[in-house]
Amino acid sequence: MQKFTSILVIGFFMFFSHTVFAMLSMELTRGISGAIPITVKPFAIQGQTPPQDMMAIISNDLKNSGRFKIASGSADDIVEGAIQQMGIDRYQVSFQLKEAFNKGKGASQQTVLLNHKYIVSNDELRSLAHHISDAIYQQITGIRGVFSTRLAYVVVQRAVGPTKYVLEVADQDGYNPQPLLTSTDPIMSPAWSHDGKQIAYVSFENQHAAIYVEEVATGARHLISEFRGINGAPSWSPDGRKLALVLSKSGSPNIYVMDLASRQLTQLTHDYYINTEPSWSPKGSSLIFTSNRSGSPQIYQINIASRTVTRLTYDGKYNARASYTPDGNHITMLNQESGLYNIGILDLDTGVFRVLTNSGSDNESPSIAPNGSMVLFGTLYNGRSVLGMVATDGSVQIRLPARNGEVQDPAWSPFLA
Amino acid sequence: MQLKNLFRDLVMIGSILALSACSAPGHKGQGQEGAGGAYDANGGVQASGVGQGSNFGDQAGGPQQSLAKRTYYFDYDKSQIRDEDKSAISSNANYLMAHTDAKVILEGHTDPRGSREYNVALGERRANAVAEFMKEKGVNPDQIRVVSYGAQRLAAPGRTESDYQLDRRVVLVYSQK
Repeated sequence: MQKFTSILVIGFFMFFSHTVFAMLSMELTRGISGAIPITVKPFAIQGQTPPQDMMAIISNDLKNSGRFKIASGSADDIVEGAIQQMGIDRYQVSFQLKEAFNKGKGASQQTVLLNHKYIVSNDELRSLAHHISDAIYQQITGIRGVFSTRLAYVVVQRAVGPTKYVLEVADQDGYNPQPLLTSTDPIMSPAWSHDGKQIAYVSFENQHAAIYVEEVATGARHLISEFRGINGAPSWSPDGRKLALVLSKSGSPNIYVMDLASRQLTQLTHDYYINTEPSWSPKGSSLIFTSNRSGSPQIYQINIASRTVTRLTYDGKYNARASYTPDGNHITMLNQESGLYNIGILDLDTGVFRVLTNSGSDNESPSIAPNGSMVLFGTLYNGRSVLGMVATDGSVQIRLPARNGEVQDPAWSPFLA
Repeated sequence: MQLKNLFRDLVMIGSILALSACSAPGHKGQGQEGAGGAYDANGGVQASGVGQGSNFGDQAGGPQQSLAKRTYYFDYDKSQIRDEDKSAISSNANYLMAHTDAKVILEGHTDPRGSREYNVALGERRANAVAEFMKEKGVNPDQIRVVSYGAQRLAAPGRTESDYQLDRRVVLVYSQK
């Protein structure tokens, strides 16, 4: 209970006072087979009706993960809960996860797998529901849930006057969008630090590209790089001490690594091709990046110690913006074949490549969930840029429609608690 | 001879008027730190607006109209200058050589398809191609600055091939006349 109230997310809310203007909500666009049936019962309410429907939030989380199927009757796994008002702006929330198992001869027995109680304020109910979803997901699948993580992305508003670019952070289900930076000049390539406390991004304020790092909680920001030419594609090392980035000060875009404490730069590629979009291996010993050295953009790996470069992708004419899955066994990327831009995944052991998306033709910017279960990406829906998610096994696909402006260039946060 | 000089002076006056109409370098405020958000307070688009054809008071063609053409289009995934744009780029190069205090920003752009950071690199290649062409004509490199926006400032936010063609461009902006 105390563990929950100390979650960083709560502190995050208190620093923002801006109105919510671009709410997102999820829509399952591709079904699943082999999902685990689970019943989530309405929470018993004592006192005033709370502002959040716990059952609805938990059901949505579990359903959208692709691992669960919400059963209306009584599945083997059942979630029950209660909310009791404890005075002004205080609720006591309890829940149980029960599992029925067959004892044979038609008899079954119920075991309580989880049983927890929390005291929270109004504002914390939604986050608590995600926390409960995480606990259920982990109990049943054995994998840590991502329902309490967040998404960063760029909203472009072209409606009236000069185009407005907003860097936003929202909950994993698209709720609670909060602006981190608003500008009339483009913002792109947000990248979370591995502790989730900072976001690096590219801003074109003052008519040139520069990389900034912004503290998510306070909005304080630091200028990291504004060399002549491109300052782009920031990527944090797993230990948080270094930032890989792209600079074209040598005449063409090359990969560099900056030690953040000393601001010292190490140049890793030295050629006249395009080299961009560096992304660290989970152990931090190598980077993958996009290069057109073979004529079209493909993914290469560079060992940081030996500087040995290996080509990783051969499927398709165009592979770009790659990143590792957390276990380091796969990479996801943007893949173009016959003019269609899709999100793909490559198994590094077997060399087997698979296209994951089947919606539209203009997908972009894949970013993987910290538990490796889903890939977040930008996509087109009815002519507008929105966010989508697809399971890394291809089993489920979700759309998060934007209600205001174009949403693009997303980045999934690490685990935050 | 007299007439020719008069004509040249008229062109120059026209050019100066047209360039004045173009925006001056951005007089932007510093980013202001708001409660939980850093704000770029001022309109940042002024100095980097799409260079529209300026009115030189002479629609008969010739060098002045060529000077006014400041958007150059490119083929898909290419950074080669088209032959049809070379005279316009040359006219602007000549202007820069005649006015050594003048400065330009060459903005490189791509269409929205594909990877954003790869597009930034591609946009820079396009702007660099125009910059190299001007330097070969004799323009001082200090008068030219290149910035690539990739697909972040689309000319036509639609999704047809004709929109994409309008997006794939280099825009020449006088930051100082």
